[in-house]
Amino acid sequence: MLHGIDYFVVIAYLVGIMVLGLYFARFVRSADDFFLSGKTLPFWAVGMSIVATDISAMDFVGVSGQSYRFGMAVGNFDWLGSMPAMLLAAFIFIPYFWKAGLYTIPEYLGRRYNDAVRAVASMTWIIFFALDLGVLFWAAAVMFEPLMNWPPWFSIVATATVVGLYTFFGGLTAVVMTDVVQMVIMFVGGATVVVVGLYHAGGWDGLTEKIAAMGEAYQNHFELIQPADTQTPFPWTGILFGLTLVMSNAYMIGNQAIVQRCLATKSVWHAKASMLTGAFFKMFIPMLVMFPGLIAVAMYPGLEDGDQGFPTLVKNLLPPGLRGLLFAGFLAGLMSTIDSILNSTATLWTKDIYERYLRRGASSRHYMIVGQSATVALLAFGVITSPLSKEFPGIYVAIQTFLSFFQGPAFSVLLLGMFWRRATQWGGLVGLVGGISTSILLYIFKDHLFTIQEPFLYVSWWSFVAGVLLNVIVSLATRPHPRGRLGGLVFGLPKEPSGSCEAAVC
Amino acid sequence: MLNFDWLKDVSPAAAKWVFLTIFIISGLLVLTIPKASILEGVENPRWWHNLKLWALGVLAVIFTIYYIF
Repeated sequence: MLHGIDYFVVIAYLVGIMVLGLYFARFVRSADDFFLSGKTLPFWAVGMSIVATDISAMDFVGVSGQSYRFGMAVGNFDWLGSMPAMLLAAFIFIPYFWKAGLYTIPEYLGRRYNDAVRAVASMTWIIFFALDLGVLFWAAAVMFEPLMNWPPWFSIVATATVVGLYTFFGGLTAVVMTDVVQMVIMFVGGATVVVVGLYHAGGWDGLTEKIAAMGEAYQNHFELIQPADTQTPFPWTGILFGLTLVMSNAYMIGNQAIVQRCLATKSVWHAKASMLTGAFFKMFIPMLVMFPGLIAVAMYPGLEDGDQGFPTLVKNLLPPGLRGLLFAGFLAGLMSTIDSILNSTATLWTKDIYERYLRRGASSRHYMIVGQSATVALLAFGVITSPLSKEFPGIYVAIQTFLSFFQGPAFSVLLLGMFWRRATQWGGLVGLVGGISTSILLYIFKDHLFTIQEPFLYVSWWSFVAGVLLNVIVSLATRPHPRGRLGGLVFGLPKEPSGSCEAAVC
Repeated sequence: MLNFDWLKDVSPAAAKWVFLTIFIISGLLVLTIPKASILEGVENPRWWHNLKLWALGVLAVIFTIYYIF
């Protein structure tokens, strides 16, 4: 339970972040301002925002829960699952996206392939983000319950109201600038748990000795690389093929919530630098979200649910004041992820669906209002669907399962679109839809096809392979795009100064 | 095949070097990027605008983490 000083810290944080977010509402006059901050953002703000968006309540609760059960191997998701992909994004993909003046990643797919690919990709992201919101709200409920004794529905509605207000009025600028503050609070709050926890566990040496003494089942708890035949969800083969080669690239290059803020930077150098700044800060995330799980194993072994490790640590170890600081950090992680998803999903809906299919040629202010309305609708959907997360055994695995359905196929069309000029519109469409179908089939029959319990890494890899193969086969059997259509969209083909065709089919 | 059974005899120690090699190759590829591309969009270039240094710094840290654990 929180004490008076904790409530003061939490309320001060909430009021401060609300005031800061609403301050930026004065700069929002058009769709450009609402969705892309008028292309004025500096690299440091975007870099910190990328990290704040990526780390969330789900990480504090879910990743520490996974490290409680399986050890350090879960840290691969933030280390191996980010660095190589962020370099590829910074130096290859982001510059092309930025120079093309894009709002969304599906918009790139629309120009490179056709409108159907754009619509499928956009609708898939919209559905994923909407479901993701529900998972995040449920993570909030899991965290609030032991600390404040709030019923789940109250935690969920309260979180949705606070985040929704400044995202609705302030657009991407409010999202990014509040993310900057939230990242700092998150790091301070998370570091507090780690420092206090390590102190109680007897330092790093005490921690490793305690876990090593717990028997054979814990011998691999400090190994990042797990054997290929491990029963954990993190065999090195899955980490290499599923995470490093597919999921991380799909996330850092194809995730609208990550890439959109890079597109809002003031120059192409700032766009690249923002991704590298994010890579730097991201290296610290496993220490904040994974170490608490390891500390909880040493101090409170035998918990029924690993996801309770982090809340148990906070409840038993942190004194009043620090508990409020950590709780503010938790809220910061949660809110920074939710606000980004809200704004990015509103962008996808407005630019890829509404503007393209429902009403073309309206004023910029009209599209801004549509984006704001979408923000409200998404909030309501996230709140209503949040209890679905109970059906899955672990919160973090649940989100990875959602991701694995289409991360592989989505990355396959991006990769071939950028590096293979022979890829055609029909190849892209069949690759994307066929890849997603493959994912779903693999997941349905996972018990018969895979030996590990949650094979989302393998599903992601094989659906990527299916997407690539289908794209290549169909592309070779269909008419290639004219060279002028591909300028500025394919690596090594500069944009032609005039006369280039940007229509879906030339 | 779907479970990569053919790789199950590769030890975690050997697998670790697969990942370390990825970091090394990433660093080498970063070094090959033309300077003009790195500094694109910068009006008055200074040494810290060189994003290759940023990338190599990040790779050095993560290489060390994976080398230790």
